[in-house]
Amino acid sequence: MGRIAATVVLGLLLVLDLALPWTPLGRRGREAAERLDEPRAVGRVGEALPDLRFVDFEGREVKLSDFRGHPTVITFERSVDW
Amino acid sequence: MARSYSLLCRTCGVLLLLGGVGFVLSSFRALAPGAESVTPFPMGPNGLYFFAFTGCALVGWGGALFAAPAGAAGRRLGTTTALALALMALYRMAVWVMGDVWWLGELPRIEAALFLLIALAFVWLRPARASSEAS
Repeated sequence: MGRIAATVVLGLLLVLDLALPWTPLGRRGREAAERLDEPRAVGRVGEALPDLRFVDFEGREVKLSDFRGHPTVITFERSVDW
Repeated sequence: MARSYSLLCRTCGVLLLLGGVGFVLSSFRALAPGAESVTPFPMGPNGLYFFAFTGCALVGWGGALFAAPAGAAGRRLGTTTALALALMALYRMAVWVMGDVWWLGELPRIEAALFLLIALAFVWLRPARASSEAS
């Protein structure tokens, strides 16, 4: 009896795992996995970056080229409301 | 069947033991001054703390599986191992759903399927209750 019950539970979990990409639950994971196939938007180490544009804390648009000639550090952080 | 179960316990035991020893050694190595970058993936001191804890727990789990006795105790060890594997699979599925480790692609789901199959093997290969109590 215990063996059958355990098999049913584990089997259901296995089916859920295999079917995840096609369920509503799997939307975010599927999108995340697809990101692996996207071409990289920016260059590799040693290559010049494209003229990226950002919005600063005052709402003004800032271009990477605005900092040309100055040492610049760009950091990316995940916001709380992602 | 008891022979297959013993082989499964020993194989999984050795793998967990090796993984645990690797985790513990990596943790000690990362404690060396200026050696923060040697860990397999970036993690802060808190992550390292739990990494070391996991390594120690794996050493215990792997050792117990490797030395799994015949009889009821060995049977119960298979049951708890199957439960732990199912929990590990569930966590990997949740991580894949959340997309937090997107750079791993489908690996969390593949690992989850593998863990569930091994858990099923533990459930089906463990000796029947009567025969394990007799031995």
